[in-house]
Amino acid sequence: MSVPLTLLGLLEREPSHGYDLKRDYDAFFGRGKPLPFGQVYSTLSRLARDGKVVISDVAPGSGPDRKRYIITDVGATEVEQWLTQPVDPEPHLQTVLFAKVVLALMLDRPAAEYLDTQRSAHLRRMRELTEIKRAGNLVDALLADHGLYHLEADLRWIEMTGARLDALRKEVRP
Amino acid sequence: MSIVIEARDVEFSFGQTPALRGASVAVEAGEILAVMGPSGSGKSTLLHCLAGILVPDSGEILFDGARVHAMAETARSSLRRDRFGFVFQFGQLVPELTAVENVALPLLLSGVHRTQALAKARAWFARLGLDGLEQRRSGELSGGQAQRVALARGLVAEPQVLFADEPTGALDSLTGEQVMDLLVGAAREQGTTVILVTHEPRIAAYADREVMVRDGRVNAPDRIAS
Amino acid sequence: MIRFGLRLAVAGGREALTRLVVIAAAVAIGSGLLLTTLAGVNAVDAQLTRYASIYPQTSTAGAADPLWWSTRDDFFHGRQILRIDVAATGSTAPTPVGIPTTPGPGEFYVSPALRELLAAHPADQLSDRYPGRDLGTVGPAGLTSPDTLLAIIGGTPDSVGKLPNARQVSDIGDKPALPETTMNLILGVIAGGLLFPVLIFIGTATRLSAARREQRFAAMRLVGATPRQISIVAAVEATTAAVAGTAVGFGLFYAFRDPLAGIPFTGMPFFPSDMSLGPLDALLVAFGVPAGAAVAAQVSLRRVRISPLGVTRRVTPRAPGAYRLIPMVLGVAVLFFAIGFRPATSDGQAAVFLPGLLLIMAGLVFAGPWLTMVGARVMARYANRPATLIAARRLADNPKAGFRAISGIMLALFVTSVAVGVITTIVDNRGPAPIGSTDAGTVTTVFDETMPSVPDPLVAELRAISGVRSATAIRENPNIMDGGEVGVIACVDLPSAYGRCADGANVIEVPFGLSRWRESASPATVWPAASFTLDELQRLPVGAMVVGTDGSAAAVERVRTVLEVAFPTFWVGPNVPGDFESDFADTLRGWEQLANVIIVASLALGGCSLAVSVIGGLTERRRPFSLLRLSGAPVRVLRRVVALESAVPMLAVAAVAIGMGLLAAHLFLRAQMDYTLVAPQPRFYAIVVVGLAACLGVIASTLPLLERITGPETARSE
Repeated sequence: MSVPLTLLGLLEREPSHGYDLKRDYDAFFGRGKPLPFGQVYSTLSRLARDGKVVISDVAPGSGPDRKRYIITDVGATEVEQWLTQPVDPEPHLQTVLFAKVVLALMLDRPAAEYLDTQRSAHLRRMRELTEIKRAGNLVDALLADHGLYHLEADLRWIEMTGARLDALRKEVRP
Repeated sequence: MSIVIEARDVEFSFGQTPALRGASVAVEAGEILAVMGPSGSGKSTLLHCLAGILVPDSGEILFDGARVHAMAETARSSLRRDRFGFVFQFGQLVPELTAVENVALPLLLSGVHRTQALAKARAWFARLGLDGLEQRRSGELSGGQAQRVALARGLVAEPQVLFADEPTGALDSLTGEQVMDLLVGAAREQGTTVILVTHEPRIAAYADREVMVRDGRVNAPDRIAS
Repeated sequence: MIRFGLRLAVAGGREALTRLVVIAAAVAIGSGLLLTTLAGVNAVDAQLTRYASIYPQTSTAGAADPLWWSTRDDFFHGRQILRIDVAATGSTAPTPVGIPTTPGPGEFYVSPALRELLAAHPADQLSDRYPGRDLGTVGPAGLTSPDTLLAIIGGTPDSVGKLPNARQVSDIGDKPALPETTMNLILGVIAGGLLFPVLIFIGTATRLSAARREQRFAAMRLVGATPRQISIVAAVEATTAAVAGTAVGFGLFYAFRDPLAGIPFTGMPFFPSDMSLGPLDALLVAFGVPAGAAVAAQVSLRRVRISPLGVTRRVTPRAPGAYRLIPMVLGVAVLFFAIGFRPATSDGQAAVFLPGLLLIMAGLVFAGPWLTMVGARVMARYANRPATLIAARRLADNPKAGFRAISGIMLALFVTSVAVGVITTIVDNRGPAPIGSTDAGTVTTVFDETMPSVPDPLVAELRAISGVRSATAIRENPNIMDGGEVGVIACVDLPSAYGRCADGANVIEVPFGLSRWRESASPATVWPAASFTLDELQRLPVGAMVVGTDGSAAAVERVRTVLEVAFPTFWVGPNVPGDFESDFADTLRGWEQLANVIIVASLALGGCSLAVSVIGGLTERRRPFSLLRLSGAPVRVLRRVVALESAVPMLAVAAVAIGMGLLAAHLFLRAQMDYTLVAPQPRFYAIVVVGLAACLGVIASTLPLLERITGPETARSE
């Protein structure tokens, strides 16, 4: 799970305070594992250092919460690239996929296309594994099957999500 | 590689219900193409249009340069009989015929003499691991055996294109994969083009390429990406 | 549960209602035919009873004065006229049935049909035979049929008492007929020939769309219905349809009874009131058909009751064995045996033939599945076309199912072929003389009492009739015990049309009709000399009179009328060869007509049964067939499958049944009458072809269904 890219993505919606970012992150992606404030601010300052975000205005007073962060063009491009590029098809990547879909919907990006690209990547990998299975010995075949079944599970999830994108959009963009 | 069969902007409706809304797909000779999509997406309708079973309301179906959509029913029937092969999900074997007679059926329909047709059909039994089942009736075959017999029937007349509509839909995973393994092996050996309709990714993974049918249109993500 | 079953049957949606209506319609037709058959049997029985009352037995036991009664046969245009002479011996003598009073001397009654003839023809041809006062019309109670030609003529006790066949009758009434046992048996066999197809048809009709119903019942079993409950629901459903159908059948019967009665099934039309149903018949149909339907439903449910999963895998039933041929072979053997060994009495003959025929009938039905299987296997071995292969395999797999629908056809055709074969041969051997032949113009009267000579004025009167060529009196041969002919005449009196004398003969021996038994009159016949001189001849009494005419109806009837008036005590009216026989032949032709009706009806019914089984077979193989069509098999291949599965066994069975029927008829004729079978007339084949066409037509009517249910939609929806 890429915290910096997720935060960048959240920032692309609108300029936000660190506190808002943490709250949204926890609501959509935290799932019982809240993001520590420290990690939020250290990530944000690293992003600012790399020129992906800028601090817009500083409210009077002290403390980190006075800063509002705005995404830069560099940051936006990185989010764009991250979203369009499929994740390497391997097991246990639902969370990444999930984050991408939700963000894409929040940002009004073509989430369905991302899913299609992902499906295609998954299928390409499955074809490779099937080829290994057809050509190789039983051990190879069983290993390939292991991969195939996990990829298939991902694909099922992709299908289900694809079928319910509209509902999900309503949920994440109140 | 040359394109052997192609659908261009095909539209088709069942009464008021549109099934295809401008579907296009091109299949190269010798290619194994998986047509995927959720149920009701129109993937079976697309297959039926490509195979000349249904005539599109508009759009074109081209096979080997011929305009299938403009042919008369008899011409399309003989096209299906002589140039295409079919494997369906289940229940295509005529129950009163023996397995080997079922396999020989397309040859008999094309007018091949009985002795030759049966000899040719018999050759497929060894090839698909069906030795000794030649005289069984469909009721006496397991699901996997029946589908292998159906596969032999689909390929016995050496068709240019094999249409497989959910060929493993009624089988368990292992049996299904065995059937697919045989299907792909035999098709590659014969150079047969295969159009495989399935909703199962693991089955689609046996193909060279897949297209998605959604809401009556074809998305070919591979092409978008490349 | 019964209420639930009723609701399912009546309010179970359009499909259930359609099924109900179709079954009810089929049952209606079937039960209508059943009722007609039963009523027909009753009508024939009534006819026979009336027939018996026209020939009453002598009865003098009662206290009443007896009535003199003499029934004799007369003829007009080859039709039989029944002439009854009656004379009351006292005031308490009984009155004949059908007329208000016994006619006195010089009075008579005639039947309506005879009255029409009297009015339509000149007096010297017909009405001169009945001199005196016409009192009126004989009512239906005294007639076998509306077409019966009957005259009841009054006379004095003296005159009537001397007539041939005269007897004293003191008790006239509708005594129960004593129909000849054979007649009854023929009737029974024919009724069986029609009843069997009707019952098969009703049976198949109640099993309509059984597959669909079985599915539904299997589903009910899955949700927990007990087999008992399913049985009740099925029985209620079938019975509801059958009750409705039977009710309509009764309606159909009464609606069509009058036109049906007008059809001369037995050669004579029936009185509509004779086509009636006894309470037993009505009860039998009213309760038997619904009960039978309920039983059929139970039988067809047997498979489902075993398992809630319904009918699962298709298993090949055990093949029927060759032992099924045994009864049929035995039956043929019995008939062959009967040629060599013929029992002396008619009862003994019946005792050999009836079991033989019944064995063949039962044997045909029993052997049918085996024959079907063997035929189908041969067909499968040599089949080169896919349709032939599929049809042959299906028939070979389950020959019993394939044969069931056509077993009715087989029986009906067998029975009718036997009847037609026998009838054609008898008619051919005994029918009326061919028109234009000498025979057809020869009127012979045989005197009841001989007379010394024929008065010359009579001969002159006869010769004066236009068309008369000769009038010959034939004297009785006293030496008849020596084996000669019964008559003698002078050689000069022999008209040349009837032959010539042996060389040097003055007096020759001749039969009374101037032609030998079963031979035709011919100028080439040589008559042997008799051992009398011409003088001796003149002293012999005259026994018969032969009048040769040109064969025109007017001449024949004039001669007949003159002879009847001149010799009123004839035993049988003056007749032309074949008059007498043709009456018998007419009756037989009537039976032939009935046989034709049965052929067409049973084939059409068989067609319906076949159509039902075709539909069943199609629904069962709906998916493989429609997928075959998707794969490019033309519809005509499937059509051919249907045609071959139904029409081929049907035609084969028809051929076998007709062949066996004619063989049985031939064996019967050889043994019983020493005749050789005469091939049935083209009309018979035409009738069979019409029936087969009707049958094929019904089967063909299922073909549009084939196209519909194997369309591409089928592959989608499943």
